[in-house]
Order: sequence, then structure tokens, then C-alpha cells
Amino acid sequence: MFNYSSFAKTALVATALMTTSVQAQETVVWWDFLGGGDGVRMKQMISDFNAAHEGEITIDATTLEWGVPFYSKVQTSAAVGEAPDIMTYHASRIPLAVDQGILQEITADDWATMGLSEDDYADATWNAVTIDGKQYAVPLDTHPIVLYYNKDVLAEAGLLNDDGTPKGIDSREGFTATLQALKDAGSVKFPLGSVTADGNFMFRTIYSLMGQQDGELMTDGEFLAGDNKEKLQNALGVLAEWTNEGLQSTYTDYPATVALFTSGEAAMMINGVWEVPTMTDLHEQGKLFEWGAVELPVIFDHASTYADSHAFAIPANKGKEMTPEKRAAVLEVMSWISKNSLFWATAGHIPAYGPVTASDEYKAMEPNATYSSLTENMIFDPKTPLAGVAGPIFDVMSTYFVPTLNGEMEPSEAVEEIQYELNDMQ
Amino acid sequence: MIRNPGKEALVAYLLIAPFVAVYALIFIYPTVQMFLLSFTDAGLIGGGDFVGLDNYERLPRDRRFDTAFWNTAYFVLLTVIPGTVVALGISLGVTRLSGRLQALVLALFFLPYILPVSVVYRLWDWTLNFQFGIAMHLFDFFGMDRVPIFKVTAWFMPAVAFVTVWWTCGFSVLLFLAGLRAIPREIYEAASLDNATRWTTFRKVTWPLLWPVTSLVLTIQLIVQLKIFDQVYLFSTGGRPNDNLVMVYYIFQRAFQSDQGGRAAAVAVVLFIMVIIVSVLNFQLMRLSGGRNR
Repeated sequence: MFNYSSFAKTALVATALMTTSVQAQETVVWWDFLGGGDGVRMKQMISDFNAAHEGEITIDATTLEWGVPFYSKVQTSAAVGEAPDIMTYHASRIPLAVDQGILQEITADDWATMGLSEDDYADATWNAVTIDGKQYAVPLDTHPIVLYYNKDVLAEAGLLNDDGTPKGIDSREGFTATLQALKDAGSVKFPLGSVTADGNFMFRTIYSLMGQQDGELMTDGEFLAGDNKEKLQNALGVLAEWTNEGLQSTYTDYPATVALFTSGEAAMMINGVWEVPTMTDLHEQGKLFEWGAVELPVIFDHASTYADSHAFAIPANKGKEMTPEKRAAVLEVMSWISKNSLFWATAGHIPAYGPVTASDEYKAMEPNATYSSLTENMIFDPKTPLAGVAGPIFDVMSTYFVPTLNGEMEPSEAVEEIQYELNDMQ
Repeated sequence: MIRNPGKEALVAYLLIAPFVAVYALIFIYPTVQMFLLSFTDAGLIGGGDFVGLDNYERLPRDRRFDTAFWNTAYFVLLTVIPGTVVALGISLGVTRLSGRLQALVLALFFLPYILPVSVVYRLWDWTLNFQFGIAMHLFDFFGMDRVPIFKVTAWFMPAVAFVTVWWTCGFSVLLFLAGLRAIPREIYEAASLDNATRWTTFRKVTWPLLWPVTSLVLTIQLIVQLKIFDQVYLFSTGGRPNDNLVMVYYIFQRAFQSDQGGRAAAVAVVLFIMVIIVSVLNFQLMRLSGGRNR
């Protein structure tokens, strides 16, 4: 027997349910700058998120050009109220953004809502998103530079330890000897593939080497004060020496460096962890030798590696208040992606969320697990609006790194010039 | 029909009104704003406080402004006259050909001009890249040392100038060809009847009659090359940008990288005035020298 009224009721309830779910559906507009192998992985995570939140939250993602184009667009769009709901941001760029007032604070309530807290992050990472005691972004990862090496070539030259790591990475003499031995063996064109034509990139290596001597770029608003100058000069001196001895590739730009290493013409390479997927993929296709990646060699007093952090930030759209529902949805996005960032590790980056890196699955990932120890020795950019990827400090230093690393200029001269120009920028 | 001057003027105003409105909105207004901005300490977004002539006073002791200024001048020197001479030479050659062959050769010379600058950059990077460029294998073959063309200051501007001439001379060739075709055949016939040599014909017939076109090409080149940005930006990415600065690049750097809109505007004003002065000078020079030949 067909009960008309109960059918009508059911239909009504069903309709009502559907309407509320439609109303509750939030679309989160997302901008990122992840165009490489990591971008592919992020798209996967976004679609996983959308699937897990069907009918509730949808991420509408757009990938923009990394660097100056991305940050110009973010700055100008926030100023006219056209910025997205959430965006990826480099921790190193946060001081400038806060100065310009284009980021919303992530409040203590927000952290509680997300179920994340300071304890979940390494101190250096947490500190990198904090300005004057307030947080302005949720760190997703840290992406340091590491030393990649060709296991086949090193093994042949007898330069591998029993655990498969390169010999001599604990001292300047040791590492130079390893490079020299590779040169003498003559099986490769360059012992070390180095991005010597790109000062922007070399900033990471050189700043790491300064960090190994406890050097700082900026103290009390002054650049290279006291013996920091000498420490920068030491760092440049090491790299200049490798060039003079013919131990590293000269005038090599970024893509060429990766090509030198993957083609086997350079036995080692200092590069970002974001190249891990490149190696993994090539290796899977059988196009790459056996390889590994370890923390940077200790050239000076102690281990130290420059890192930056990809983080999530909420733009402060001028003249446009975000609804509480939208904000809740954005917080859910940041929380979910942070907690599910194990997959992000396949892009090479070290997830910032502690419980992920502490998990057994992560510890089984290689070479990630080998180099993840470096999170204890990370240093970030100085906190100044002039810092950050593609920022003015990068630019000034770049100009003097290139001639110095290719034997055109003495390190001492470069340091004088760098100091003059850095202080001139303020 | 009786003409009504009042009505005619009204129609004229109506007809140019849309243009004037758009011109005022997207050119005059921003230009005025740029002048005003150059007296403030504004960043990339938002306004700033009035700082008087500070931004201008900094320029003479600003080393990067110095680099940008002289690099721009150097680049203009390397491209304007050489580019025009090359284009004239090519068009004199092409004009001697006829039929399909002429169309083919012309197309070959014009082809680079239709390429976007990013493609031009890629092409030349493939050719001259220090590690993998194909030209470097030639260097190796002849036993010469490789030269990191785009990474060494001494080579950078000449190389970019060369690429620019290669890239853009197709357009000037077209202008010259049109000019050459406009010269009446009879004059050349008369010249050959008088037993004029090729050189004399060129000097006394082609050159003076082509002068209006030559001066046009020179003026266009001058203005375009003063505003050089794309090639320099692309070729110096990841190199040593501060050594290769040119004026527009410096404006870009100050505004978008250093967040100093006010200082960027001051440099832009200087470039604006430079372009005006150079154009006026150039125009007067062309007029004077053109008058002598006529």
C-alpha cells in the first residue's frame, strides 16, 4: 500500500537536507606556486581532500608562476580585495607581508580549531612563521638543501662508507679530499655539480656555510656586522677554492646542474630536496644510477643547513570580511592537509607537522629519512622585509656570488661590495 | 550645402571623445599619479608619506641607478645604428631579388620577428649555454676556451644587443623595402645613362630619397631600445641581475622586488624625461639633416 503522506514527508525531509547541504558547501579559492613535481603531488592531495569533504568543502585551486610574479600578484590582489581564501607562502616572505598588512593572523583559537599546536613543529619552523609573538601561517614543510651523490661512481672510487654514505662529509679537508679523489679517478667530468651561475640559488649553500660558523646575515638591523663579514668570506673562500682546483662545475645554471648530475657527468650535487621526485622517477624508469642524499657536509664547526618553509596563509583582503563559515572551511583545509602530509614527503620536502615525521611510514621512506635529521640544524632567513625567496637580499648577493664562484673576483672584495649594497638598501 | 562650422566642430569633438577619454584614463591619469608617487615613500601597494625630493636626491649616489643608466645608453649605442645599418643592408640585398625567391628570403629574415621573446631566449640559451649550448661544442672543436656569454658582464650587453638586432631587424627591413619601392625607377635609369657608379647611385639617389624612412626607423629603434627590458630580464635570470640592470629592469626591481614604489616611480620619471629629450633631439636632428639633402 502506498502511503502518500509519508512519501511526501520523506521527500520534504530529503529536499530540506539537500538544501542545507548545498548551503553549507563552501568553495575555498586556493593559489599556489607549486609548478614542478611537487605541484603534481599537491594536486593529488587537493583532490583527496575534495573527495573526503564531498558536499562540504571544495578547493578551487590555481597554480601561478613561482617567485616575483606570484608575490606581486598576491600583494596587489590583497590590496584590492581580490586575493584567494588561502595561499601557499614562503616563511621567508612573511616579514614583508606582515609589514604590508596582507596576511591574517592565525590566532590561538584557530590553532585549537585545527587541532594543531606549537608542540607539533620544530622550533626553527614555528619561529619562522612568528612575528612579534603572533603566527601568520601554518607551516606545511621545510625544504632544505642536501648533498646528492652518485653511489655507483663513489663506490667505484672507494669513497663510500659501509652505510652507503659518502666519505669525508665531516670536515673541510675530508670533503675536499673526496672531491679531489673523484677528480683523480677521472670517471666524471666534475666531482661536484654546483649552480655556480645562479647566485640566487647559491645563497642557500653560502648561508648554510655561514650558519656552520654561527654567522648571521643581520644583527640588530645591521648587515654583516662584526666577524660575520669574515664568516661570509670564509664560506665564499671554500667554494672559490673548489672552483680554482677544478672540483666543481663553473657558470652552470640550475637546469644544467641537474642535468650534469642525472647524466652522470657530475658525481655529486648540492640541491634542494624538491629534486628528490626527479631522481625517484628517473630511477624507477631505469634511467638513473644508484643514488643517495645526505645532509650537507660539515665544512666548518658544526652541521647547519639553510631551509625555508612552504606554509599556508590567509590573505587579509582589503574591504572584504571573510565569513566565519568560510574561515572555518579554510582552517579545515590547513588542518587536513597538514595531518595528511605524509604524501607530501614524496615530493622530497620534510613535512613540518611533527607526528608525520615521527611516524613509522615516514621513517621507512628513503632518502627522506636519512636527511630528515637535519631539521635539528636548520637555519632560516633573517627576519627582515628585505629577505625571502626572490627578494632583494637574494638579488644583491647573487650579483657578487657569480663572479666569486667562477674565479673572477676575490672573496674579500665581494664581501665588501655585498655589505655596502645590503646596508644601502635600507 | 552650407557648412556649419559650429556643428562640424561639435561632431569632431564627439568623434574624438572616446579616444580622449580612454587616453586620459589609461595614460594621462596614471602618468600624473606616477609623478605624485615619486614624491612619496610608498611601497608596492597602498599610498605613502610625502618625502619631497628624497627619491630623486638618492639617484646620483645610487650605484644601481648608475649601472642601469649607463647600461641602457650602451645598449642603445649597440643596437640603434647597427640595427638600422643591418636592416638597410638586408633590404638592399633583398630588393635585388625578384619573385618567389625574394618572398622566401624576405620571409626568412622576417621570421625571427614573429617569435615571442621567451622563445628567442630559449633559442639562444640552447645555443650559448655554457654547459650544454651547441655553440660551445664548436668552441671545443676549434680548441678554444668556452665563453660563458650571458654570465660575464663584458659579454652580456653585446650578446643581448646582437640577439635583439637578429630578432627585430625584420620589421625595419620591411619599412626599408617599402621605402626602396617608392623610389621611382626612372631616377635609376637616368643615373645609369649618366654612367653613375653603384656607390654614386646609392649616395646621390637611394640614400637621400630613403632618408625619411631611415629617420623613421632610427626614431622607432631609439624609443624601443631605451625601454629595453624583456631580453635583459630573461637572459640575466639566475645570472647577475644587478650588473646587467637597465632602466626599466631597475624600475621593476625597485617596485616589485624591493617593495619601493616611490623610488621606482622616481626612476620611471627620469626615464620618461630621458625618452622625451632624446626623441625631441632625434627629431630635430633628423629634420635638419633631412633638409640639407632635399
